[in-house]
Amino acid sequence: MKKIIALILSLVLCLSVMAPALADQPAGPSVAIVVAGTLGDRSFYDSANEGRLKLEADLGLTTTVIECAEDASKFENALVTAAENYDVVVAVGWQFWDALAGNAATPGVPVDFPETKFMFIDNGLDGIGDNLMSVIYAQNQGSYLTGYIAGKMSKTSKIGVVGGQDSDTINDFIAGYEAGAKYANADIAIEKRYTEDFEDPSKGKEAALAMYDAGCDIVFAVAGKTGEGVFEAAAEKNAYAIGVDSDQKYINPDVIICSMVKDVGKSLYNTIANMDENFKGGQIWCADMATGYIGVAYGTEDMPQQVSDELKAEVEVLAQKIVSGEIVVPSTLQ
Amino acid sequence: MTELSTIFNIGLLQNTLRTATPVVLCALGCLMTDHVGMTNIGVEGMMLIGAFSAVMGSWVCSSWWMGLVFAITIGLLLGLFYGVFVIKFKSDEFIIGVALNTFAMGLTTFLLRTLTGQSGTFHAPEGNLSTLPRLSADWLNSIPILGDLLNNNTLLVYVSWILVLVCWLLIYHTPLGFWLRASGEHPQSLRSAGRSPEKMQYLASLICGMLSALAGAHLALGYLSTFSENMSNSRGYIAFACVIFGRANPPKVFLAALLFGFIDALGMRLQSVGISSALTSIFPYIGTVLMMVLVVWRTERRKKKLAQ
Repeated sequence: MKKIIALILSLVLCLSVMAPALADQPAGPSVAIVVAGTLGDRSFYDSANEGRLKLEADLGLTTTVIECAEDASKFENALVTAAENYDVVVAVGWQFWDALAGNAATPGVPVDFPETKFMFIDNGLDGIGDNLMSVIYAQNQGSYLTGYIAGKMSKTSKIGVVGGQDSDTINDFIAGYEAGAKYANADIAIEKRYTEDFEDPSKGKEAALAMYDAGCDIVFAVAGKTGEGVFEAAAEKNAYAIGVDSDQKYINPDVIICSMVKDVGKSLYNTIANMDENFKGGQIWCADMATGYIGVAYGTEDMPQQVSDELKAEVEVLAQKIVSGEIVVPSTLQ
Repeated sequence: MTELSTIFNIGLLQNTLRTATPVVLCALGCLMTDHVGMTNIGVEGMMLIGAFSAVMGSWVCSSWWMGLVFAITIGLLLGLFYGVFVIKFKSDEFIIGVALNTFAMGLTTFLLRTLTGQSGTFHAPEGNLSTLPRLSADWLNSIPILGDLLNNNTLLVYVSWILVLVCWLLIYHTPLGFWLRASGEHPQSLRSAGRSPEKMQYLASLICGMLSALAGAHLALGYLSTFSENMSNSRGYIAFACVIFGRANPPKVFLAALLFGFIDALGMRLQSVGISSALTSIFPYIGTVLMMVLVVWRTERRKKKLAQ
């Protein structure tokens, strides 16, 4: 009996490994996205996943998603597994740097799979090979706009920001946010806290509560799932918060006044949908405000709008100035 | 001086209390099993499953108390599960504990995705989740600091304080408590007194499951109002450390949990005076290690004294 079960199980295992190879070949490449955290952050990773789902729906591509749950030991294996079975591998999260770049002893994953195309989302890595394209986002530009809104709307002249980690990418958001707020109100005080955790909403809530208690009336959450706690704190204190990466207003339209949108999904979709033209192998491509992948979103019209129409118009003007280069937003990257 | 007042204020104490409460509830469960001689590190998983069942109960029945009923029921089942494996099948308690934690992580993630179709964080599709009520008494408001601290907490915060007292009375001042402790310290003598140590162990295991699940319920419906994957985030292990540090004595364990909460709250606030967040985020763990060193040092000293 045991032998039969073992036999069946191993057969299932073999078949499931072979399944992608057996399936009919669709028109485009097969795509695997590998996310460093878990889906359901309603922010960064979910945005990437939306891009994948759209590829599947519109173009009929075979796609999959692998979640690493912030477990660094899984990064390399997940990329290798994806590269073995799919034509395009998208590493979503700056955390994949080591696995992609490799080191003196072991080359990066793209070197081992020269036939596979790799996209590295949210970090700039080049010199690995022609099959790796890095996409970085000018989150500092979008954050400049949300900082401007916060600076204009703060009644206490004190605003805050909760970062998921004291790292270059997160600090790039914060640098833009601070600059925008200062541009709106030169006397504004900006508090910042890092939770050192992207997956624990309680920590985000505590960090935000401490800031609201200290007199901040608007807090920008740049912390993935930890940011959910920021919104809860805002609701508890009847204060405002700003969402990140996706248009997060729907989570709590009464407290989230706007979101800094970094449209990972759209950039991913457009690159893969037109591989020949848009896949820039061996390069670092920066999705800045001019590309339309970075901006501010205010939810849908049926939601209560805290940001006045005049302020929205001012933000539009600022966005134009950033695109034209009239305003140069400070950055912690490059 | 203004910097000091931004760190040491009422918010710090409130934060301490909020951070400590899930740990207190979980530690009270954990200390029960400690007294009967079982090292239960599975409390982490029990807490996570408790959080999940509380949210599901509250969501399905749209009432927070059904959430609590769900959490307690599932908690008791988990306690029974743990007990059956450790007491009946004599499996290694450590392995079962670790297995329970890994299982809890996978199970809650899987169920969240299959039952609700959502992943990561649970977002009640139709409006808000029924969460635990906040209690406050007007007369307390007249007292400065204390009023702010004691008022306006969620239900289970107060329940946890009562439970500290109840557990202490139960363990040290009732016959049942003596049997519980005897089953851990000297099961043979308990047996010769006509009591079954196994029954006591089952009882402790059930209480442990229930309280750990309540800790989870507090985390999901009191502290926050959502379920999020792996939301227990090692709080069960901290509770376990508090049990060791407080020598499984409820009031001492309570203080240990408060100390942990304080370190955590302080660490976060120290960022505002320019201490790196990478450093402040490990404060609770440094605290835990220091606690353990202190425990070892104290036991060694006691041993030496006895030897003299």
